[in-house]
Amino acid sequence: MSLLLQRYGLAVLFVIAAVTFSLLLPDSFPTLLNVRNIAASQAVLAILALAALPPLIAGQFDMSLGSVLSLASVATASALSRFGLSLWLALPIGVAVGALLGFCNGVLIAKVGVNALITTLGVATAITGVLSWYTGGTSILTGIPDALTDVGSGVWLGLPQPLYLMGVVALFVWYLLEHTPFGRHLHAIGVNPSAARLVGLDVERTVVRSFVLSGALVGLAGVLLVARQGGGNPLMGNYFLMPALSAVFLGATAIHPGRFNVPGTLLAVFFLAVSVSGLALAGVDNWVDSIFNGAALVIAVALSTILGKKRRF
Amino acid sequence: MLRLENISKTFPGTRALDGVSLDLKRGEIHALVGNNGSGKSTLIKILAGVEKSDPGGRIVVGERSHDAVTFSPRDAKRAGLHFVHQVPALFPWLSVAENLAIGRGFETARFGMTIRWPDQHARARKLIERFHIRALPEMPLVALDPADRTLVAIARALQDQDGEHAGVLVLDEPTAALPGPEVERLLATLRSYAEAGQTILYVSHHLDEILRTSHRVSALRDGKLAGTRETRELDERQVVGMMLGHAPAGAALSQPRSSGAPVLTIENLSGRAVSDVSLSVARGEIVGLAGIVGSGAAELLSLVFGATARHSGRLLLDGQPFAPRDPADAIVKGLAFLPADRALDASFASMSLRANVSLPRVGRYFRGLRLRHDSERKDARDAIAKFLIRASSEEQSLDTLSGGNQQKVVLARWLHDRPKVFLLNEPTQGVDVHARQEIHQLLRAAAAQGTAILVASSDFRELCELCDRALVMAKGKIVAELSGPAIDTHRLTELSHFASQ
Repeated sequence: MSLLLQRYGLAVLFVIAAVTFSLLLPDSFPTLLNVRNIAASQAVLAILALAALPPLIAGQFDMSLGSVLSLASVATASALSRFGLSLWLALPIGVAVGALLGFCNGVLIAKVGVNALITTLGVATAITGVLSWYTGGTSILTGIPDALTDVGSGVWLGLPQPLYLMGVVALFVWYLLEHTPFGRHLHAIGVNPSAARLVGLDVERTVVRSFVLSGALVGLAGVLLVARQGGGNPLMGNYFLMPALSAVFLGATAIHPGRFNVPGTLLAVFFLAVSVSGLALAGVDNWVDSIFNGAALVIAVALSTILGKKRRF
Repeated sequence: MLRLENISKTFPGTRALDGVSLDLKRGEIHALVGNNGSGKSTLIKILAGVEKSDPGGRIVVGERSHDAVTFSPRDAKRAGLHFVHQVPALFPWLSVAENLAIGRGFETARFGMTIRWPDQHARARKLIERFHIRALPEMPLVALDPADRTLVAIARALQDQDGEHAGVLVLDEPTAALPGPEVERLLATLRSYAEAGQTILYVSHHLDEILRTSHRVSALRDGKLAGTRETRELDERQVVGMMLGHAPAGAALSQPRSSGAPVLTIENLSGRAVSDVSLSVARGEIVGLAGIVGSGAAELLSLVFGATARHSGRLLLDGQPFAPRDPADAIVKGLAFLPADRALDASFASMSLRANVSLPRVGRYFRGLRLRHDSERKDARDAIAKFLIRASSEEQSLDTLSGGNQQKVVLARWLHDRPKVFLLNEPTQGVDVHARQEIHQLLRAAAAQGTAILVASSDFRELCELCDRALVMAKGKIVAELSGPAIDTHRLTELSHFASQ
């Protein structure tokens, strides 16, 4: 019984939030427009949260997710607008930039042995500086082809197109984590790195790979951000970091309690989005966003610490 | 000065202490000896108040008598019992004066804000003099000789005694980390403390130190007090006799198996704590490495497994040169290793039993681009049956199993692939009697199927029960070899204790 509650507690909260706001705000909340709006606007955040999973499962924090997201979006936008590259060249560039940064983080953390928090905070700060130099602090908004922005706002079979991309990424990450040896190795390294080495796992290489994978997915989120916003913004990514981490930790209290997992993460992203959207429609100012996300993060980690009784993060 | 009356302690499955009574006189060095599992460390823990004893025992210090059940660390401190452990908690980069003040409090100005260094150093200088430490208050601890560092720990423990030498100092293997000449200096200093009236309970494996330093010796055997005797009436052989009793303990059960061509050959291997060791293990043979703490047996296994860097020497596997770069390399070549510290080095506590068993070969279940969970699950179920693991399901997380069953899961992990060579360090440490027998049975079965087994243990009875041959290690070298029926706990204990002098 208590296990069921742990597994599906977040799902129940999600339903309660959705039903409550639907009853309170029958004209604005449960409308097709609002549902589409929530779904479309959360795709970037959801992909970013999914990207955070592999390193976290291996026991490594990544605080550079937000600035790598900015970097990838600026790189994509700049390739399109300043260099006039075609879409088919610009999109891989966005993903590759993310993967490259992930590789740098991974090597510094796993091979050199610098603490992950310090490495990624340092990298994040440096990226912010580089972006501010390169863009002069302004967004790159011109020369983004309509073909890309159409995807950002488009609808396919009744659902926003970004949602399909999110679905594909979620399936891919879930497959890697649950159905490949790589995923199993990540879990083992996260649980006990010293024992992982003694059963013959290549701890360093696996951790580096988890960062490269994570970086590539952040890059993909960056490309989607350009599609959504019609440009690359040097600061936008930073607003995504904390909500993404909140979602990942909140997600670890659901579905597979005590483990970072894909369905829990998605559930958490949409629970937070529905709550924040409902509050906004109810007329609450948008500073509530930050309070809600921050409180959710702390409460989620506290809950999972209490429920999980042992170190599982 | 200190009297223990009728102390007992029962753990699930074992009786660690059975009505032990001990009496320490003022100003004596009282040695406590006993093999692994004799109950020595449990007794020390009860004395420190960190382990609860069974009802019925009393701890009497000076005038005051305490119920052993409720005896707490605070009681121990108030009664004047001071403990210095094998590796004392010192701060190498802080000064001697700072090390002495930590945990006690600094000499501060009136409002307790600023440290008054002149007072602090003056206090430290007095302690240095009183405890015969060769140091200056300002020196960082790392600059001191090892024996002096231990003395700093002792001085820190004893500095606040009411009288100069009130209370009891309990030393647990204080010389384990000290080089030879330093041991002598520490012992001489301890003798001078005792002459001045300090009571010392001295726990050690090193019989020569005990004979040279103590006034009386008490031996524990299987949780009972085997006797207390005056040290001057004893020699080493008699101490061993007290530790082991005179029953022919665990006479060799195993018949020597076929010793064909060696599977693993070690030639002149050296590492940090191992020097110039050569040995070989044949197919289906179980070879034991007997050694007390610091003998080098543990490191030897880790060198062979590629987990620790080899300094020199050569390894042969099936007659072919073999130089594992890391554990992964050794595993590919057919080696397996069970480390002594399961929680730290072998178990994935929050992962399922299934994942714990399959981890080294999880790639093999990846077929047609996905993990075949059903075939992995089937193998885990087979392992539960074959390795006598008591679990309700293969999906149970490892930390929900008892220690013995966790150990069997780790055995199953490695024996599934019938390794050529299985290296084990303390395979039944912290495991109950029944599981221990089962683990021995599983290891014999593995040997019968051809695995060459090299097992290090400080539990000599285990080696008697298990091994075809036993090599005694001391100070990083092999000092003796016994085989077949000649392996007995007496001989192993004598050889490993005498050789470590």
